[in-house]
Amino acid sequence: MQLSIESVSKAFPGVQALDKVSFELRPGEIHALMGENGAGKSTLIKIITGLYRPDDGRVTIDGQEVSFQSPRDAIAAGIGAVHQERNLIPRFSVGENILLERLPTRNGLLDKDAIHNEARRYLDLLDRGIDTHTEVRSLSVAQMQIVEIAKALSLETKCLLMDEPTASITEHETEALFTLLKRLRDEGASIVFVSHKLEEVFAIADRVTVLRDGKNAALGEPMSTMTRQKLISLMVGREEHIVNKPQRTVETGTVLEARGLKTSFGHRDISFLLKRGEILGLYGLVGAGRSELARAIVGAAPVTGGEVLVKGKAADIRNVHQALNQFRIGYISEDRKNEGLILTHTIRENIAVTIWRRLAGALGLIRPSAELDAVMPYVQRLEIRAPSVEQKVGNLSGGNQQKVSVAKWLAANVEILIIDEPTVGIDIKTKAYLHELIHEIAAGGTSVLLISSDMPEMVSLADRILVMHDMRLVGEVANDRRYETVSNAIMNRIHAVEEERSTAATG
Amino acid sequence: MNSLLRRFLMVEWSGILAAIILGSALLAWLSPAFLTEFNIYVMLRSFCVALLVGFAQMVTLAVGQMNISVGALGGLVAVLAGGMMEKLGVPMILAIPAAIAIGALCGLLNGVLTERTGINGFIITLATASAFTGINLGITQSIPFYNMPPGLVAFGSDRFFAFPYLMIAPIIATVLLGLFLSRTVPGRHLLAVGGNPHAAELSGISRGRITILAHTLSGTLAACAAILAVAQLGSAQPTIGSDWLLLSFAAPIIGGAALTGGHVSVLGTTLAVILIALIENGMVLAKVDPYWVQFVLGALILAAVWLNRWRAVKTGTD
Repeated sequence: MQLSIESVSKAFPGVQALDKVSFELRPGEIHALMGENGAGKSTLIKIITGLYRPDDGRVTIDGQEVSFQSPRDAIAAGIGAVHQERNLIPRFSVGENILLERLPTRNGLLDKDAIHNEARRYLDLLDRGIDTHTEVRSLSVAQMQIVEIAKALSLETKCLLMDEPTASITEHETEALFTLLKRLRDEGASIVFVSHKLEEVFAIADRVTVLRDGKNAALGEPMSTMTRQKLISLMVGREEHIVNKPQRTVETGTVLEARGLKTSFGHRDISFLLKRGEILGLYGLVGAGRSELARAIVGAAPVTGGEVLVKGKAADIRNVHQALNQFRIGYISEDRKNEGLILTHTIRENIAVTIWRRLAGALGLIRPSAELDAVMPYVQRLEIRAPSVEQKVGNLSGGNQQKVSVAKWLAANVEILIIDEPTVGIDIKTKAYLHELIHEIAAGGTSVLLISSDMPEMVSLADRILVMHDMRLVGEVANDRRYETVSNAIMNRIHAVEEERSTAATG
Repeated sequence: MNSLLRRFLMVEWSGILAAIILGSALLAWLSPAFLTEFNIYVMLRSFCVALLVGFAQMVTLAVGQMNISVGALGGLVAVLAGGMMEKLGVPMILAIPAAIAIGALCGLLNGVLTERTGINGFIITLATASAFTGINLGITQSIPFYNMPPGLVAFGSDRFFAFPYLMIAPIIATVLLGLFLSRTVPGRHLLAVGGNPHAAELSGISRGRITILAHTLSGTLAACAAILAVAQLGSAQPTIGSDWLLLSFAAPIIGGAALTGGHVSVLGTTLAVILIALIENGMVLAKVDPYWVQFVLGALILAAVWLNRWRAVKTGTD
């Protein structure tokens, strides 16, 4: 399919999301679409998939001008999309989800066998391990992503849009996906690939279009002529800022200790120390149990054995309220939309939510001016970009939303901060900024437990790195800031555990 | 579109205010009786109970819950207050606070059941609604208590020109509720839980306690409405509250509340109740069959929701 976007514009109140943007997709190519958060990628994708209509400009398919009124029109034209948001029905089976729009029937009733056979065909292209009879809600996030991709494939699309398809799947699954995408391309499909991960774009894309501030920064440049640095400067307008902090000596004094923790998720023998002002990394693959451990520590999930000590004293933390007010522990969730923020409330309200108690004065009333005074320093310090603090958080870009969820915990003035995947889906500039900020927080004496699957992030931030695999801590790696040695040491720990297990299984 | 009109449209109760102004102008023009002192008094008086009923549902909507038992709870409180005063001879000054406390306890029960069982609040309050009505009818055998203290009856019917003394209660409730939701910690927490329960909980807010608080508050407000209804009617009728449910949802929703929780408007709800009172009054003046009021109320809810939706799309706040 030859898809052409010609000088398309789209405005929202107060924002020119797209300003005369062009994009051209040829048959049989993988075309990367890149740009920072807020650059206009999502808007462009929504125009291509029929969710938005452009204010101005032309969209043509194979030379014919089209005007999609709804996503149905786009699907009918052969455009399939895998969006960042999950679009699956939790209580339906995998098979039913994949074929949802055109479930096969026999004599007017659903044909169960046909559903599962048909779905199997597409699923087999990706992962033979998922049973089409399973309800989607019992799958892991990565498996759901795969079902989502299978669903898009099943539409026999000639143009496939992939919006950050690898954000939540493992490296192994990513490889399988790439092999598949290349095969589809070679068979003549056109693929739009949106990602923040440069490595992936270099591994798979033929050409790249870059958006910056709603305008074209590059239009269909061949990847063969592109370098990492050039691509970054196209996106950011300047060279990549890599935090490369020297190793630090951390103050002594343990603030948080876990002794043989067990949880209902299946964690066993979790023991570690977190020192004052330290950034302790917790690395692991998706599904290793890192976020679940964090939840158990802050009282959002039950601890079934062992103990947590805060400043040397046994702490029985039953809920987040207690973690925050009694033990001064905060948890920044990785899922900022569902667990971190209240999207329909304002920036001011989202940041102040942890400190209202402190702000209440006579008769329990909160003075609006006091609230604003408490919030503004963080809005300024974190450079949260919005017309005002009364802006609804749901209208902000991903990067600014993440800044708000960090600001909330900085305002709470906690002593221990658990930060879960702080930069997933965040543009490079904001990412560098958040890295700098995490360093600052730790230098200020706050202890940070950093959860991340982003190896460069781990290496540039953590003082020590704990490796978690399958609900257990399998090693600790000292971080000397040398990427190769540290990442090898970590991966070796994980591989060693895997090997042990397979020997145990065969032996 | 000029910016003044646009800014007006951005305010969520703008549509209701426009309807009130247009409706009043129309009624004043059509019916000479409309602007008489007595008619305004009648309208204001009918506004009092309705507003508290709307608020009773509004606080549960704020936290993302529903209270199907507002009417049944109100009916029970009304007959208990009436029974205490008439049969047991409890002085008004004790009976009224006691009855309101019982209303609060019923709300607390709703909240605790919802929270402890993990069953949806809709189901819980549907069940308690039936139970409350059962107790009400069991006590009264459907026979009202007619002998209410003269002081209470006077409070329900006396007026200062067009201003009914009854209206003092809803005015106080409006101010307190407005302050509570915008300026106090539990009030802010209530809206936060409604806005996103997971995020609120992970921010250190106890979702359970806040849900219970919302139900308790709902019960208290419904009980206050019941006392006003007794004062207004001059008797404790077992049927008090039987027609509150639709109204209780209509007022906050027309006023711009999000059914998903986290967003309500005290001012919007107040204006919505004024609009409803105006429509009921207009239909009486126009001698329309009172049963059609139900129909108009239903149509009005649809129109208001549609208008809000249209406004959200137009102004890009969607």
